[in-house]
Amino acid sequence: MKIAMIDGSPKYTISNSSRLLGKLEPMIRDNNEIVHYHLATKPFTEEQYLELCGMDVLVFSFPLYVDSIPSHLLRMLLKLEDFMKTNRQKPVTVYAIVNNGFYEGKQNHIAIRILENWCLKCGITFGQGIGTGAGEMLDFISNIPLGHGPLKNLGTAFQGLTDSMKTLTSGKPVYLSPNFPRFAWRFSAINFVWNANARKNGLKKKDILKQL
Amino acid sequence: MRLLVHDLTPQEFEALGLELSPETTVISDDGTIKPCIGCFGCWVKTPGVCVLNDKYQNMGQLLSKCSEYIIISKCCYGSYSPFVKNIFDRSISYFLPYFNNIDGETHHKKRYDNRFSLSVLFYGNDVTEAEKETAKDLVAANSTNYSRIKYNVSFYDNTLSLKEGLQ
Repeated sequence: MKIAMIDGSPKYTISNSSRLLGKLEPMIRDNNEIVHYHLATKPFTEEQYLELCGMDVLVFSFPLYVDSIPSHLLRMLLKLEDFMKTNRQKPVTVYAIVNNGFYEGKQNHIAIRILENWCLKCGITFGQGIGTGAGEMLDFISNIPLGHGPLKNLGTAFQGLTDSMKTLTSGKPVYLSPNFPRFAWRFSAINFVWNANARKNGLKKKDILKQL
Repeated sequence: MRLLVHDLTPQEFEALGLELSPETTVISDDGTIKPCIGCFGCWVKTPGVCVLNDKYQNMGQLLSKCSEYIIISKCCYGSYSPFVKNIFDRSISYFLPYFNNIDGETHHKKRYDNRFSLSVLFYGNDVTEAEKETAKDLVAANSTNYSRIKYNVSFYDNTLSLKEGLQ
């Protein structure tokens, strides 16, 4: 099978979306041709849109922005719909991994439904979506093997996703939180992500709270 | 202040014949908006202001002065159009990186205390029932994020029929 791994993060550097694709790829590499796409670098060319129409599988990995799909990815989907309607020669099945910065993965459900609606408009099949919470944690636990510790739930979800992909079947969406206590996640996110990043920029907590 | 965000062309907007009060601020698409780059600079570098230097970088501040928020958007797969979604993505400086718990779900705290009503007018001649349901759920989720503000959602077959909803 030809599988497109589409990193839908707008970040030029390594992102949580790319980390998730990195965890998934070894599970689907055998006997498959994998092509990587990254939407942040520059808009897709006509040639890239045509390539996507010739894939068996599209795997989108992207961050949740304000309850749904980031605008730059939405623009790309609108263009790809036109290409799919006029240039697609064979069935295409779409899988999605959506990550958010909250604890609960279920908040990704609207983004996944938008992608399902997009598939219907394109005339292609939606396979399955996974919505994972606590995306910002991935930076700190990227060395932990999938299926272990905080990544236990993600490992189980990815196993189901790859089983569906290998047989090109559809499955119910899976929403997950990390195998990690909510209070500890919240404490870490506030202190080790947000306050720590502000401190790097010379800001204190009162600066973060500033009203204009 | 009344904030009106729309994705209509100048001709389509003019055809609506709206009589706008001086308290209305209109945000439209002139093709220059930059997409959010996920840097969170509006939280940890220049709190309250987006670091991308274009005329849409103060959306959070505008929302803080808003009492009525009206959105006109093409319905794309149950989402807003890319321009309107871009406005949402560029408005997160209205929030703080810190968290609230609403109905067992994590949400971001607001930077400001003001409350506004939200009216979303979706248009499009091929919007499916599934897309309408998704769009309704999206606006409901947005309103929860804005601390459970009052909202309404309506759908129109074309841009001219938006007049009905704006009267």
